[in-house]
Amino acid sequence: MATVTYDQASRIYPGSDKPAVDKLDLEISDGEFMVLVGPSGCGKSTSLRMLAGLEEINDGAVRIGERDVTHLPPKDRDIAMVFQNYALYPHMTVAENMGFALKMQGVSKDQRLKKVREAAQLLGLEEFLDRKPKALSGGQRQRVAMGRAIVREPKVFLMDEPLSNLDAKLRVSTRTQIAALQRRLGITTVYVTHDQTEAMTMGDRVAVLKDGLLQQNDTPLNLYDKPNNLFVAGFIGSPAMNLLTGKVTNSGVDVGAYTVPLEASVKTKLGSETTATIGIRPEAFRIVGSEENGLTVEVAVVEELGADAYLYGLLNGGTDEQKEIIARIDARRPPEKGAKVKLAADPERIHVFSTTTGERVSG
Amino acid sequence: MTTLPTPTSPAAGSAERGHSPAPAPPPARFTGARILSDGIPQVFLIAWGLLVVLPMLWVLISSLKTNREIFTSPFGLPETWEFGTYVDAWQTANIGRFFFNTVVVVVCGVLLTLLFSSMAAYVLARYEFPGNRFIYYLFLAGMMFPLFLAIVPLVKVTQNLGLYQNLVGLIIVYVAFSLPFSVFFLTAFFQSLPKELAEAAFIDGAGHFRTFFQIMLPLARPGLISIGVFNFLGQWNQYMLPLVLNTPKDDERSNFLLTQGLADLALRTRYESSATSVAEMFAGLVIAMIPVLAVYIVFQRRVEEGLTAGALK
Repeated sequence: MATVTYDQASRIYPGSDKPAVDKLDLEISDGEFMVLVGPSGCGKSTSLRMLAGLEEINDGAVRIGERDVTHLPPKDRDIAMVFQNYALYPHMTVAENMGFALKMQGVSKDQRLKKVREAAQLLGLEEFLDRKPKALSGGQRQRVAMGRAIVREPKVFLMDEPLSNLDAKLRVSTRTQIAALQRRLGITTVYVTHDQTEAMTMGDRVAVLKDGLLQQNDTPLNLYDKPNNLFVAGFIGSPAMNLLTGKVTNSGVDVGAYTVPLEASVKTKLGSETTATIGIRPEAFRIVGSEENGLTVEVAVVEELGADAYLYGLLNGGTDEQKEIIARIDARRPPEKGAKVKLAADPERIHVFSTTTGERVSG
Repeated sequence: MTTLPTPTSPAAGSAERGHSPAPAPPPARFTGARILSDGIPQVFLIAWGLLVVLPMLWVLISSLKTNREIFTSPFGLPETWEFGTYVDAWQTANIGRFFFNTVVVVVCGVLLTLLFSSMAAYVLARYEFPGNRFIYYLFLAGMMFPLFLAIVPLVKVTQNLGLYQNLVGLIIVYVAFSLPFSVFFLTAFFQSLPKELAEAAFIDGAGHFRTFFQIMLPLARPGLISIGVFNFLGQWNQYMLPLVLNTPKDDERSNFLLTQGLADLALRTRYESSATSVAEMFAGLVIAMIPVLAVYIVFQRRVEEGLTAGALK
């Protein structure tokens, strides 16, 4: 049990000027499930490997609990890691794989066996203890990798996209299992993924990274409701938020014929900027009458999912002419393909961002 | 060889018409072109096989003949199978002693080659440090160094070290000459192993040595077997190095290796026909061939065994 602190930690790969991780500041509290998420190359895996001790830290510090581990080798950090490809030792049985770390610690054979059995029971692996990894299915291997981490009762679990090699269905069920297991064991966990759904569903908190920079770090719901900037707004949420550029006028922001009213405080924050980007989540849209204030959209496809339906349309008019718009609509009364509909959103569910800096300006 | 059904094939025809599953007639009538395309490679392979097998068979049969028979009917079968030639070869022609010497030298040579080359290759493949490439190329340069250029200096060096006419000296020289290719081969092999396994071992608390000996080395087994078999064959058949570095120490030639002993035997049968028999020489040849064949047969399949299957995903 321990906290994890990244204190201005940076990693610059040899032969590159640009840091892969740039002055990362992150506090993870004891027992917390922290998810690092971002597109590939954003530095999330590098951040995790810095914590693991597999990647050198060029600047700043990393602490586990009160202890500065910046320059400690992996074995002295009291961590366990689950790799994307599991990295099970192919020449050892499941039990040997799970007990290897304990063996390194000099734990007696009886103790080792006992702990391996406990972990195997927890993960439903008892019948496979004598098998080699080769003779296991993908899901079973994944569980062995988890078991190997659990057995040693580390201060911190590190997981590097542990679900990406599973098929879609297994991924969803394993996702909940891992989250439940983590809550039960109460061990601080840092989890890396590129899948925002995984991030949203599993994490107590989610840190969004891009180009080695931390964009925002908050609870999943706060990330969803109040994205700090355009990148987070576009990255979190599925289907993604609609982002439209419009002209700032006295009455608000004009996107084509649609005028989005702005609060006075937001207007002051925008200052002299002539354009602003507004963000509207698909579920914030509703279809309105043709003469009302709204966006005119030509329906391209309607995806009917039963409970919901998503309208994919092309925007008519404005600076973002022909941009794709996604709106959640009533599944029972979908509009015709090719029809023109008007979409509007509640003013309080509209996010406003500065077009130049990308920062959030609405409250 | 698989025979694809041709349109004229009666078997394919009856299957298509859904006839009774009675024993199918001979599958295909070979057309002229097919006999050529299928047959010619077969003829070549058979010819090649005979070229390899017949001399060995001839040696084997000759080793069971009497001296007289070998000269009177060189290609006939022996009247009585003379297994005694093997006993003679082993004892009186001293093949047993040579065999033992060779086993000692080659087993030590191969094991040490595997140990040192895998350690060097692992470090070169897995650790970044200044001079890494330089050391690697230095090993590669060793492959281009002809054995003959080294002979005179080697004799001097081994004499100065007191390792001349000495099996230990021979082992050291064998290992030195086997290292370049082994390092080259195993470096590529270690590079192909997933680096996450070493990382997992580090996190699990294993140090560099333990990671190497308990994780990476077992993973490298297919590569070690390949390079081990390769070196075994090479070192077993080595003649040049023992010839110059392992000259006879005494009249019994007690320090000789098999290759030297057999060459010596061949020489002596020519000049001192009473001393040894040709049959004994053939028996010695068979004895020398057996370990090579055995190693090859045992390890041939395991060379290609993919041990890393299951490590990932």
